[in-house]
Amino acid sequence: MAVLPSRAGAAQGATLSVKFTPERLGAPTTLSFGFAVAPGGAARNALTGVELSYPATLGISTSGLGLASCSPALLESGGPAACPANSHMGYGSALVEIPIGHELVGETATVALLAGPSPNTSLQLLVSVTGESPVAARIVLSAQLLPGRLDIRVPPVQILPEAPYVALVRLRATLGGRLKYYERVHGRTVAYRPRGIVLPTVCPRNGFRFAAALTFLDGSRSLARATVPCPRRG
Amino acid sequence: MNRSGGRRPTEKRCGSARGRATATTLIVASALAVVLAALTLAPGAAGARHARAARVLNVRDEGHLHSVGISGSRLTEEGPVSGTIPGRVRVFFAYNGSPTVAAQFTIYSRYGSISGRGQGRVSDPASPAPSFRGALSITGGSGRYAHARGSGELFGVFYRRRLGLTVQAIGKLNY
Repeated sequence: MAVLPSRAGAAQGATLSVKFTPERLGAPTTLSFGFAVAPGGAARNALTGVELSYPATLGISTSGLGLASCSPALLESGGPAACPANSHMGYGSALVEIPIGHELVGETATVALLAGPSPNTSLQLLVSVTGESPVAARIVLSAQLLPGRLDIRVPPVQILPEAPYVALVRLRATLGGRLKYYERVHGRTVAYRPRGIVLPTVCPRNGFRFAAALTFLDGSRSLARATVPCPRRG
Repeated sequence: MNRSGGRRPTEKRCGSARGRATATTLIVASALAVVLAALTLAPGAAGARHARAARVLNVRDEGHLHSVGISGSRLTEEGPVSGTIPGRVRVFFAYNGSPTVAAQFTIYSRYGSISGRGQGRVSDPASPAPSFRGALSITGGSGRYAHARGSGELFGVFYRRRLGLTVQAIGKLNY
């Protein structure tokens, strides 16, 4: 836990980082992304949404991730461990700022990305953010996977009545990676590692371009961009 | 009863006036046929393309495909196809998180190939095997199906774990 000084509200900048591991065209990979709000009173102007744009040629829908879905209620009450193994899509960490008295207290939380129920024709994701200390709490964010875009909605959360909102100031997550799925083969349950996101065999001109558009409570927006240069062919 | 058919009586009539007229008609008809054939075979002959009679076929084919290649959100699928036009099919299938999937296909049959494309709307993307339904159009082909055109409906199931595909095409084929 880190105690951060209180900050005055101001226009907020943002940063975005993206990484493929491994970086081989045509090969399965993990997609790690992170966005952060630059210092500037995040708690007074909490983050309400993030639109993460990615190249639509990335094989997220063909990754084999999220073969089962977890209900938001189950995730909120029991945490990611209560959800089906085949609904887990990724993991990560987050930093939230919690206003306690006149101070902003920073709390590191664990993040899990899961597939949620998809009532319409696009895949819904759930982002579980779980903090232990100083405040034990879990926030479940909903996200929608659209062609070339992941829309994450951040609900306003208060720890105490009439207190400022808790602010998500940094989130790092990896789609794919160390996940264990299960399937039935000849009547037996067999564990396997999901394939993960497959990179296209052809790199887009000027590399894989990503962008994060962050929306804040007062309606202001910040845009951050990142590019992964063309990796070598696998 | 003469079991040799109508040849002998015709040969007998050749000697008569009526027989001579028939023979003349046959010769003229043969000559016309030769001329017509020559015109049809001549390169660039006008109207040569219209000589072929169009055929219409109600098609109902089903294929069980497996992935032979993947490039991001684009898959290459192959497998046997059974039904009205049996053979093998190769499908380029795109599924990028959009509510619709897109496919380009070529069916390789005994008498030639049929190419087309289709689009379908996904019903339950969170399912391990989302299904889709949409329209297809046949855009061309080779061999007997060189002039193939047509349209119809496309049904399918995409198996996300193994990237397999079951597709059913129902439509009308003109060739």
